[in-house]
Amino acid sequence: MEDLETETRCPEDLEDDNDSSDDNSTKRRKKSNLLLVKPMFVEKPMETGFQQTTRICLEQIREALLHHRWQEAAEYMAYYPQILENTSHSKAQQNKEVIWRISTEILHHHPNSKIEDYNNIYERMKHSGVKHYLMICLEHSFHLMLSGHIEDAKRQLSLAEGWRHGKESAAQYQRTKLIHAYRGLLDYIIWCDKKVTHCNTDLSDPRDSQELQNYFRQASVNLKEILKSPGVWDSFILSYVEMLEFYEDHEEALQILNDYAYDNTFPPNPNAHVFLYQYLKQHGTSDRKLMKVLKNLHVIVPSHEMMLDYSSFLLQSEKKSDLQKALGVVLEMLDFACWRSNLDAWKRLKAIIQKLQLQEDWKDVVSLKMAARKDWWPALHFTSFHASKDSEENPELMEVKASLTKILCPVTKIDRRHNIGNTYCPTIICTYL
Amino acid sequence: MDDEHTAWYKEPCALCSAVDWGVSDEGRFYCRSCHTVIERTKEVVDSTFTPGSNRVSTIGRGPRNKRTEGGRQWMICEGFQFILRNQADALLRLGVGPSFKDEALCELWRLYLQKSRQAYTHNPVRTSRFKVRGPDSDSESAAESSVMSASETDGETNPPSTIGSTAESSSEWSQCSGSVDAVSYLSPRLRRSRGLMSMKKTLALIHLALTWSREPLTLSDLLRLVNEGHVPYVNAYEELPDEMKLEGKDALLFRVESVPSHQLVHKEAQSLVLLLQLPAFPPISRQTLLHPALLSLRYLTDANLPDELHPWVCRVMERAGMADQTLHTFDRLSHPVLPLYDVQAAALIIVTMKLIFGLDDHAEWDLSNQTGDLDDSGNLFNLRRWYRLLRAALTRAQQRRDHDVARKQWIAENPLSSSKRDKRVVVKRKRIAEQVQICFQKLSRGPAGGERGDPSSFRFCWGDEDGADGPSLHHKKLSGVLTLQHNVLTPSNSTYWHPALRACNPRTCRSHYSDVEATLPRTFVWLLQLFCFLLDVKPAFLYEEVLKVERRVINSTAARSPETKTGTRTRTRAQRRTPQRGQETG
Repeated sequence: MEDLETETRCPEDLEDDNDSSDDNSTKRRKKSNLLLVKPMFVEKPMETGFQQTTRICLEQIREALLHHRWQEAAEYMAYYPQILENTSHSKAQQNKEVIWRISTEILHHHPNSKIEDYNNIYERMKHSGVKHYLMICLEHSFHLMLSGHIEDAKRQLSLAEGWRHGKESAAQYQRTKLIHAYRGLLDYIIWCDKKVTHCNTDLSDPRDSQELQNYFRQASVNLKEILKSPGVWDSFILSYVEMLEFYEDHEEALQILNDYAYDNTFPPNPNAHVFLYQYLKQHGTSDRKLMKVLKNLHVIVPSHEMMLDYSSFLLQSEKKSDLQKALGVVLEMLDFACWRSNLDAWKRLKAIIQKLQLQEDWKDVVSLKMAARKDWWPALHFTSFHASKDSEENPELMEVKASLTKILCPVTKIDRRHNIGNTYCPTIICTYL
Repeated sequence: MDDEHTAWYKEPCALCSAVDWGVSDEGRFYCRSCHTVIERTKEVVDSTFTPGSNRVSTIGRGPRNKRTEGGRQWMICEGFQFILRNQADALLRLGVGPSFKDEALCELWRLYLQKSRQAYTHNPVRTSRFKVRGPDSDSESAAESSVMSASETDGETNPPSTIGSTAESSSEWSQCSGSVDAVSYLSPRLRRSRGLMSMKKTLALIHLALTWSREPLTLSDLLRLVNEGHVPYVNAYEELPDEMKLEGKDALLFRVESVPSHQLVHKEAQSLVLLLQLPAFPPISRQTLLHPALLSLRYLTDANLPDELHPWVCRVMERAGMADQTLHTFDRLSHPVLPLYDVQAAALIIVTMKLIFGLDDHAEWDLSNQTGDLDDSGNLFNLRRWYRLLRAALTRAQQRRDHDVARKQWIAENPLSSSKRDKRVVVKRKRIAEQVQICFQKLSRGPAGGERGDPSSFRFCWGDEDGADGPSLHHKKLSGVLTLQHNVLTPSNSTYWHPALRACNPRTCRSHYSDVEATLPRTFVWLLQLFCFLLDVKPAFLYEEVLKVERRVINSTAARSPETKTGTRTRTRAQRRTPQRGQETG
């Protein structure tokens, strides 16, 4: 009847056909132009039996999903798809998406779900609309990838690559890029598999294999393309670099690693520097260059685990300024709670201090570096609680820390009343109570 | 000789550029000057069309006529006629007596067609745009012939075709609908006249026929059967004969997305009864099952209330002056309001329970405590026990109903679409929905569509067998709540509460239930909800009916006792809302 009303546009019919039981008074108020009072009792808008059915069905599905009653959700899901046949266009896209997502969720958890069910659902929902065709293709191929059907996943992406739908496909160019990228990744995976089988079966040099090179070429086109767009592409770049290393194209590898790490349009990514560092280390680069990379990493993430390496580089270097930098690096590391109980970090600090003490002005250097820290470092590292914990868990750590306490935090006032044995700086505790 | 086929074709020949076409033996066009044969074929139109026949009467080939093979022209009212017939047959299969269909429904339908000027009339309802090609006498003679044929019919109804030689003009309309007059049916002028048929009206018509035949099937029963699928309504058009092709605008008339509510159908029935100008209905006496005396017994049983309550219900009914059959029989002159048998019976029961138990959240529990103390053998009716039983059963039944509502399938196997370009989309969506459905059916190993259990007049089943909602309390005695006063059994409870009255305009106010509900005693509200579940009506509606019954009871009591009490009563009467016309007979 709703179609009938909109078709003929008889508003007076609507009023009489409305099942106004207890809210007629507010409806009349709404019609009056004199009173602009907002009705107190806002009734739910009129819904048809079909809308009521689908609403209750969706509520039941939602309850079942939230309580992990997968069998029950599947049963209700068998009745829900009639909403796709709803003639109103307003929520068609939303309904399709709801059905797609709920179906896959149920299939993920239902004990009897098979790969054919997934394929079926993905194929159907893919072709139900143009706005989400590419998304569903991607998800489908992810699923196939994760369940080990690499070839099928690649086929899906190839089909998706060839899809054109006028303005729609042009508007979804970002998804298209993703599709190309993942296709490249899949080519890489296949390349890896083929390489392994080749090494196992064939005695010839795998580098000469035409098939492998084909896959490499296909993969590199796509991977190179995606690395041009700003984003986080860790897996992609690693796979590309691995392939380039295999074919001994070191310049290319270095080039893309550098671009990935130093391009400002890309989001800051510490992993990029780590990758670059590891690559350079593997290929015998000078310490100076390695230090440069790690310096950039230090700026982004002072608490990175590579900072230990950086500090050791700085320690080994001849320059005086490097030693001070090393102190700064390690202190900044220990600013973070994650390094609090790390023996290596404290040992490094001790080594640095010891080397520093060979200089004349080491006290000034230390106090300069500790100037900003002396307020809160004791509470961070040198309380009685830390002492008792360390003495139980890691006595060696406690020794190292104890030896550094007086150097880093020289005590100006001593209150013997609070001098409890086995504590680091008993007086400092009082100021923080 | 073949100029009539080729005279309109003025394209020059590709070879010789002459415009001189003939038709060859195979039916193809050929150029007479150079004898080139082209692809065009002549159109064949069979013009042997007889009105009122069921067999295939027109075959049109070629690009002009869009009629499909094997189809025939049909009118909207014919479609509704088939649907009504199917609905009536379904009711007959469920046990309704055949006189409902033959005597009541058919006659009402014919009367309706006549009153709304769709058939059996000299000036049928048409829009000015719809031209009758042949002379006007054709439609008249067709109408007359159909009247003749109608008088010869027995129980079987034949569709009265009133369209004779309108084959040509209807071809324009058939492009947007399968039926002949869907567009005119939907025109604003005709819709404003409100005489036209709709799916809701089929239910209203059936309700009238049932009331006329005094079948004990109330409106709430009918709607429940429709909701459960025992009577075709949603997708009823699927059962139309294949020759009647539904397309385009037909969808707007035949497709439904809701089962109408009790109030809506009652309103439709009321307006229909006025349109049809029916005479007085057969009287509903105390022996008829629709009379509150007997209908209330059925509801008492369904609600697991003791049978001993029934005489009290009858007494309240007599007090309220509702035992009289004139109140329950529709009469255009004296009682032009179609009575609501089910809702009134339920309201009577509620008022009786209010009288006996108090239902103000205190009295009834005190009474049941007393009953519990008195009772050694367990034979006395205890309201608390009843309440616990019913509350659990009601919650379960409501969950089951929600479960059924969630699983109800509204879309037909061959869904209708309003326009041709939607048809492709509709088919595609259907395919997708079906595939998803099959996938999950396989996964859940369940059948499609809600199970259609056996239809029953009762919502609950009380007794000791398997699947019962609980033990039966029908045989319990009411001695716990009744006392002997002056050798007459009277209820122990002597209080009666009534919600505050206020003066409002009867034209604008329908119900104050939503405002008042928070102040009402919870037991009373729950009891309303119980009966609303049994009848599938809204609580506000039932509440208004309860107030009406109470007003009757109190009015009649006031009329009977002319002592000092009248003073206060008349004052309260003045404050009361003015009741609707036709009911204030006291």
